[in-house]
Amino acid sequence: MTETPGRITTPHEGRLASTWDDAATIDAPLRLHETTAPPEWMDYNDHMSESCFLLAFGDSADAFFRFIGVDEAYRAAGHSLYTSQTHLHHRQEVALGEPLAMTLQLLDLDRRRLHLYHEMRHGETDALIAMAEQLLVHVDTEAGRSVDMPQDLYAHVSAIRQAHAALPQPAVVGHPIAIRHSN
Amino acid sequence: MPDRTAFGAYREQVRPEWLDYNGHLNDASYAIVLTRAHELLLEDLGLSAAYRESHGASMFTVEMHLRYLAEVSAGQTLTAATTLVEADRKRLRLHSELYADGVLAATGECLYLHVDTAAGRTVPLPDDRQARVDALRDAHAELARPAHLGLGVGVRP
Repeated sequence: MTETPGRITTPHEGRLASTWDDAATIDAPLRLHETTAPPEWMDYNDHMSESCFLLAFGDSADAFFRFIGVDEAYRAAGHSLYTSQTHLHHRQEVALGEPLAMTLQLLDLDRRRLHLYHEMRHGETDALIAMAEQLLVHVDTEAGRSVDMPQDLYAHVSAIRQAHAALPQPAVVGHPIAIRHSN
Repeated sequence: MPDRTAFGAYREQVRPEWLDYNGHLNDASYAIVLTRAHELLLEDLGLSAAYRESHGASMFTVEMHLRYLAEVSAGQTLTAATTLVEADRKRLRLHSELYADGVLAATGECLYLHVDTAAGRTVPLPDDRQARVDALRDAHAELARPAHLGLGVGVRP
């Protein structure tokens, strides 16, 4: 593929979607992406910039796409999963070189939409660093509108939802941003 | 007394390094744009980089909620309309409409905490900054609140 200089790439870009195995056990939550905070993600305080948390969650989502069958070939055929909303929660700062381990939980779905919950934890201490709640929509990229997922893709995400059904509902899910007054 | 209109100082061309394989603004880049727009408002309140230097305190983002409404391409001009929604002694809540060539492309909402950077904990704003925050909050109090404010992910207004 033609590389546009300087644009945003993901570490999984170009990797073919995995072949789905109906018999395989599905991790709950999924653990599909680990990384180490690189120098270009640091701000002038030597902490990871806000937007780079979203890059890391996006990289984990890209790994998830390839896990369920959405890769370059799938997108070239005219469909994709677009992010409709993201709600980020920051709990701790990240310093240069810290190991980051991402988890992904499928909270809910219908024929066109996926409701995801991500956690970013420290790769060694397992301390919770940040969370992200996302709503994704399956779109016809040519028509620019949402459409149902094809049957095989829907079967994959349904199997994941079933595997994740027993996971507890994360406390932050569904809560809007607000100043919660204690008095 | 600040203007009784949304804060609109931000104006910038889409940068090539913000795009992804679709040739569109990447999800994470909307967060960059939102942060840059909000930084201008924080600067206007005297709560940006110079304040961090002089006071050893800073506004930390604890939550960010983005709603993606339209694709954004190279060469488009980004602008923002930012409202101070809510504030107390330690917390500030901002909402922005982000526009690309005048078309609403996203909304973003952030919750900030005022943090003593050495102690690593929240502290009340100094009186002079609190006065500026209160004045802006009062100026923005009459502005229409978008229907999605105060709704979680997946909830439709």
